[in-house]
Amino acid sequence: MTQPFLSIRGIRKTYGQVTAVKNVSLDVAQGEFMTFLGPSGSGKSTTLYILAGFQDPTDGDILLNGQSLLSTPSHKRNIGMVFQRYTLFPHLTVGENVAFPLRIRRVGQAEIAERVKKALKLVRLEGFEDRKPALMSGGQQQRVALARALVYNPPVLLMDEPLSALDKKLREEIQFEIRRIHQETGVTILYVTHDQEEALRLSDRIAVFSQGEIDQIGTGPELYANPATHFVAGFIGDSNFINAEILSSADGKAKLSLPGGTVIDGVPMHAGKAGGKSASLLLRPERLSLSSTQVGNGLAVTINDITFLGNNIEVSTLTGSGESLSVRLPFGHEAISSISRGDQAWLSFEPKSTHAFA
Amino acid sequence: MVLSATTDGGQRSIRRNGSFGYVVPALLLIAFFFIIPVLMLLMRSVLEPTPGLQNYQELLGSTTYLRVFLNTFTVAGLVTVVAVVIGFPVAWLLAIMPDKWSRLVMAIIVLSMWTNLLARTYAWMVLLQRTGVVNKMLISLGIIDKPLALVNNLVGVTIGMTYIMLPFVILPLIGILKSIDPAILRAAALCGANKRQCFTRVLLPLSLPGIASGALMVFVMSLGYYVTPALLGGTSNMMLAELVAQFVQSLVNWGMGGAAALVLLLVTMVLYAIQLKFLNPNRVR
Amino acid sequence: MLLDFDKLGGLKPFLIGLTVLVCLFLILPIVFIAALSFGSSQWLIFPPPSWTFKWYQMLFSDPRWLWSALTSLKIAAIVTVLSVILGFLAALGLNRGTFAGREALRALFLTPMILPVVVLAVALYALFLQLGLAGTTVGFIIAHLLIALPFSIISIGNALEGFDKSIEDAAILCGASPWEARLRVTVPAVSHGIFAAAIFSFLASWDEVVLAIFMASPTLQTLPVKIWATLRQDLTPVIAAASTILIAFTILLMVAAALFRKGRKA
Repeated sequence: MTQPFLSIRGIRKTYGQVTAVKNVSLDVAQGEFMTFLGPSGSGKSTTLYILAGFQDPTDGDILLNGQSLLSTPSHKRNIGMVFQRYTLFPHLTVGENVAFPLRIRRVGQAEIAERVKKALKLVRLEGFEDRKPALMSGGQQQRVALARALVYNPPVLLMDEPLSALDKKLREEIQFEIRRIHQETGVTILYVTHDQEEALRLSDRIAVFSQGEIDQIGTGPELYANPATHFVAGFIGDSNFINAEILSSADGKAKLSLPGGTVIDGVPMHAGKAGGKSASLLLRPERLSLSSTQVGNGLAVTINDITFLGNNIEVSTLTGSGESLSVRLPFGHEAISSISRGDQAWLSFEPKSTHAFA
Repeated sequence: MVLSATTDGGQRSIRRNGSFGYVVPALLLIAFFFIIPVLMLLMRSVLEPTPGLQNYQELLGSTTYLRVFLNTFTVAGLVTVVAVVIGFPVAWLLAIMPDKWSRLVMAIIVLSMWTNLLARTYAWMVLLQRTGVVNKMLISLGIIDKPLALVNNLVGVTIGMTYIMLPFVILPLIGILKSIDPAILRAAALCGANKRQCFTRVLLPLSLPGIASGALMVFVMSLGYYVTPALLGGTSNMMLAELVAQFVQSLVNWGMGGAAALVLLLVTMVLYAIQLKFLNPNRVR
Repeated sequence: MLLDFDKLGGLKPFLIGLTVLVCLFLILPIVFIAALSFGSSQWLIFPPPSWTFKWYQMLFSDPRWLWSALTSLKIAAIVTVLSVILGFLAALGLNRGTFAGREALRALFLTPMILPVVVLAVALYALFLQLGLAGTTVGFIIAHLLIALPFSIISIGNALEGFDKSIEDAAILCGASPWEARLRVTVPAVSHGIFAAAIFSFLASWDEVVLAIFMASPTLQTLPVKIWATLRQDLTPVIAAASTILIAFTILLMVAAALFRKGRKA
């Protein structure tokens, strides 16, 4: 068995009665871009802080190249980090900020100048050496912070929601920069965010955090196509859930009865509690077909609203039992022309493409 | 002259804007009983006993008075340095420690600050006297074998004044230190800086404007202090405020008293101006 | 990590130790005085050989102490009332006015607080000698009002800063006259500032020593002047008794202020 580059093993962190991280384990390969995705309070930031050495875990271990990091204090871990808040040293210029880690490491003057220049070039801020951080925009400050975190070539770079204070347009611009820098430097990145779009755009793999645990680890498409839990299904991509009755289940496939009476078979079944009678069925809005007449497996619905969203049309519908389901159709889809608010319609889907969670 | 100018300006403003009327009572009080008497005192310093600058010549030319200035600056400087060196770590801890503990410490600081100045000075007179608790403790610990003279000298004044000035250093510094984002120190640590480097290269430079501002304020307050030096100090190491009082009370020499007061006033104002111009902590960052 | 309490490491015991020492340094003299006031030793030996109330008896049986305390109380009370009224008006003018030079005026009003008191004391003394106000209650009140007023202007000014003037305008639209609106709407809304102004003004006068020394006459002495005069002769434990009463008074005020703040939050 090959040794993983970075290995988080059974990390647990409690504060008195409160458990922030329950049991987190994962391996990260060298050069990988791994994102911790989850809502606030899910334990993703705490896990990152334990990696940085700002907090000590109650239990568990962290190994880098097979060596435990826990007994090493933060300043000797040689890890880079970009924070959520702006953490440039306000009394130093941009150049001095980037040079700071090198000065601490007693690197020679000439080499410092060269490496600072290179680092600033990497984040496209050449010529900003003499600026004070207070005179720069939030996006620029975070890019300087990135240069400061990379200038000493750390094996691992931690990023704790570095873009959350920026507006959407700027955020996308810097996401692109981060992706480029990751490719250019090959540094291993652990990235924390609560924004699924950001996670999907940047990461090689995503670890979805929920209530102090990792629900699932996988690539974006894997998480989307094959969510392991109800939480992951709801957090990645858009989703509808309806309640269904389990008629039988075997080999990870289930036979379900829908509220309208339709019975579907061969639905992938997850986390089935033995003996559970009802399940939650995931229906992706873009995997639903809408027609005015009954075709195939599906549900009878009433059209509630039709919203134009640019390249998509979102149709919101109500089932007979009052559950709301949204359907996404490409602009110009033939079904649109024939329906209007209040009409009866039929939603159909492929049972194999759905997921049921007990 | 000054008075009529103020009221004229006032009446014009009243016509323009009614709100000026509200400040008139306070303004009259300040004008009559603050500006005028201070100006009159300064006039006397150049008019009595005869017109001229001879009072200032005597004050700044004689070694007796120069020793008073030296004493004043020595005590103020010493008190400032000691108060800052002791106060900074306390403010640091108070800025980051859990609330329930910091509240207790704050209560102690405020209690000592609000306690009557004479009561506090009296306490130190008793504690520091030859047969006092401090001397007894030092002897019983074997540090000294006969009582030290701790009052009626600079030691007593410095201890007593430091006691009074400590809260004035600690309280503003807490605010300064609280305004520094802990994440900046975390970033410094991850950059490789150990605790000493984090302190000298990040925490200290970031709190320096606040320290300088607080230190200057304490220095200025100490320069003009009267009660504590008068009670804990000796006759041989008089401070400037005592000199002013002595000229007026015992010697009834208004010329010299006015001159000494002006010097004290001028030093104070210049230092405050420096504080406002360069060290205003609100302006940094 | 220097600003993370849990990650201070070896610094933590150092900082805590120093803070404990400073707390002891600040609190012990106060406790010590209170203890000595009940000690039997005329020479203030500590720990006292036995306990007694005789210093308190001496304090209360001497009419000069009682009289000076009453004088202090009277002057402080009048100063408090005047300081709050003048301070309220001045803060209102500085807060609402649009006239030029408001910032300069605010600075002028605060100057008596930051200048060396001894300069003000000597200057006022000279003026009062000429006006015949030296050694009079009026002189005393004027002197203390000068140093109490800045506290009122700051406290009430801060409170007015946080009060939306349109609420007062609304009261006027409801039919109140401007002064009625001010008294019934604005004054209650800034009552916490007025309360703070009153406490600070009272303490400024009650504890004031330097001005008082110059304003006093043999027949008109405040409590601090009486303590000062006694202290210059000897360190009698009667002063410890008087100081203890003053300290108890301070604690009472602090508790009242804390309760008031709590009540406002609830």
